[in-house]
Amino acid sequence: MVGKKSRTLFGVSLLSFIAASCATNAPQDTWQPKGPNAKIIDDLQQPVFAVAGVIGLIVAAAVIYSVFKFKDRGQPIPEQTHGKPALEITLTIIPALILAVVAVFTFGAIFKLAKTDDTEMIINVTGQQWWWEYDYPVQNEFGITQPIISSGQLVMPVGTKVLLRETSRDVIHSYWIPALNGKRDAVPGRIQTLRLEADKPGIFAGQCTEFCGLSHANMRMEAVALSKADFAKWVANQQAAYVAPEKDSLAQQGEAVFLNQCVRCHQVNGLMRADGTPAIAAPDENVWAGAAPNLTHLMSRNTFAGASFDLLSKQCRDEVWNASSDTIGAKYLAGVSQDCLNQKDLRSWLRNAPEMKPMYANPTQLEATGGKYRGMPYLALSEDDISKLVAYLLTLK
Amino acid sequence: MGMTVLSVAALIMSLFVLDQVALAGVALSMLIVAAALLGGIAVVTRDGNRQSGVTEQSTDLVSQSIWPLVTSIGVVFLALGLVISSVVFFGGIVILLAALAEWMVQSWSERASKDANYNASVRKRLLNPIEFPVLAALGLGIVIFSFSRIMLTVDKSVGTALFIVAGALVLIAGTLFAIRPNMRRSLGVAICVLGALGIIAGGVVSAVSGEREDLELAAAEGHFTHKECGPEESEYFDKLKEETLSLRSSVSATIIYQDGELIANLQGLDKPQKSITVSRSSATNIIFRNATEGEFRLVVDLGKPKTENADSDHDVDCTQLVETGGEQSLTLNIAKSSSAENHYKLFIAGAEDKQIEVVVP
Repeated sequence: MVGKKSRTLFGVSLLSFIAASCATNAPQDTWQPKGPNAKIIDDLQQPVFAVAGVIGLIVAAAVIYSVFKFKDRGQPIPEQTHGKPALEITLTIIPALILAVVAVFTFGAIFKLAKTDDTEMIINVTGQQWWWEYDYPVQNEFGITQPIISSGQLVMPVGTKVLLRETSRDVIHSYWIPALNGKRDAVPGRIQTLRLEADKPGIFAGQCTEFCGLSHANMRMEAVALSKADFAKWVANQQAAYVAPEKDSLAQQGEAVFLNQCVRCHQVNGLMRADGTPAIAAPDENVWAGAAPNLTHLMSRNTFAGASFDLLSKQCRDEVWNASSDTIGAKYLAGVSQDCLNQKDLRSWLRNAPEMKPMYANPTQLEATGGKYRGMPYLALSEDDISKLVAYLLTLK
Repeated sequence: MGMTVLSVAALIMSLFVLDQVALAGVALSMLIVAAALLGGIAVVTRDGNRQSGVTEQSTDLVSQSIWPLVTSIGVVFLALGLVISSVVFFGGIVILLAALAEWMVQSWSERASKDANYNASVRKRLLNPIEFPVLAALGLGIVIFSFSRIMLTVDKSVGTALFIVAGALVLIAGTLFAIRPNMRRSLGVAICVLGALGIIAGGVVSAVSGEREDLELAAAEGHFTHKECGPEESEYFDKLKEETLSLRSSVSATIIYQDGELIANLQGLDKPQKSITVSRSSATNIIFRNATEGEFRLVVDLGKPKTENADSDHDVDCTQLVETGGEQSLTLNIAKSSSAENHYKLFIAGAEDKQIEVVVP
């Protein structure tokens, strides 16, 4: 006899399940394709889900019916029979046929998604614990006359067949922007390709989907699709020369702090040391993966720390994310201003990064990695230095 | 229960002796759990209580057993391994587990009946299918390893002769066994054992005397690691076999030397490129294809090494000489971003003007 308490629990669970299924703010919803590649998957999964759902319901109904109809009421055990060849063959052939039909369409989808010969743009994507790096090789037709390097947010032109060439510097990761395509593993020493194409301008959220260590859940990414004109502006900005902070400003003091502390791992292209030599980062000497995000145009992005945190305040972020496809480009290209900066999270990150995001950054426990960090360590910066750094980072647009 | 106590003691000892106890701790903890479980079962079922456990079928006395001794050796290895090295520690675990398994099965089989022969047959039936393949693999491994030591010690020409002689002896022995099926079994065993012992003895002597002079010289001078990247054929490097077949399944770019021009083909781009982008601190495979008459090698200039001496030569890496129509892979792993002062490039040895820029963003 099912008790009242159990019935209530079941009801609440069912309601929760139904309510969760109706979430409006679900940026990683696999049922809302925003590009032709994701549409290929969606066109496959919709009918398969429907067929599988109907079969599932039939099986569940048959089981429930049998459980209630034939439950033990003290009746004698029915006659036991063995072997019904006709029925067994039928019940084997029907699922086999269904699977064969599904396989035909699945293979078709796989071949379409594996195409690379119609690529219009390539972007190299490198995963490491726990962020993604994007580099754009020279492609003159898009105005990319020198390689561009970025992280956290992948920026791409709409209506363009983009081919990601994925690899990893440490362990296996997996790249997944559900609105634009399926998953593809990033494997050290290998290059795996993934097609992306967006129909309209917008920002699409993603998540690493291969367990990759302590902060796997915090290894996020966003794909930003811009109109071709806006993308050209973004490219031009990414290739713009470094502009040193104004003399005697707080930002200039921040540049000195950056040179003293951050440049050990983080590259800012064009940044020069006091002796006039270029400041070349050496993440290979400090970080296990051998890389740290290039911060040259940090404030042209909306996120930091592997897209775990927003550089924009909530209000400004909402304005970008909720913008129409006509206006999102301009809002995104505006970057991060003083007024829109998420000071709280950025300052907290600079104050004690491992406290914000779990990382292998305890200097006393780095034997396994030869003294190298996995993630950003605690730098013991003073509040004064943090203020200077924030002022400097704000100039990196 | 004794094993449980011993494991706890070893775990406590490892906590004090070792800095990095994670692996040893896990292994010993598992041993504690396993031993405690077995001990608990024995206590609960009173399996270890001879008064209650004696049945009419069981024998009165247990036979002699080597396994307590082997178990003790395993424990010693385990304890020593905690201090000396992980290899000894894992060796101890293997010995301990094998000895415990053998010991348990022997104890169990001795309770099967009053007939000692039947009990022995029960033990054999259970363990021989495991023991024989393991021992055979171990024995073969030792013989093969010993033979390899001999081949590394003797002169190249002697090695060839030795290989022929060894092959001939195996053939003769095989023929003998085939044409004399009724030959005494002990004679066959003796031939095999003597042959194996001879090889093992030779291997021990060879291991003690060391590798032959040219191999020692090659190791000392780095013949196998040092690449001579000039246009001419190198003395050692070009004679090595390329062992990079698997890299070809995942290449970043194909560099082609065709009609006297060096071009790069990148997957996804139609047009040939004059530069390739290589992610820093990431192993990146490229293929060099020689489509020009003659033998050429592709060289990558990795910039100046990180040294105080500003005049020091650039670091380079290269393929072997590749014949016309041939191709070879090369793995790039560049840690530092390229800059105005830090250029990387690919070029053809002897034709330095044929270049592809390597950009490391």
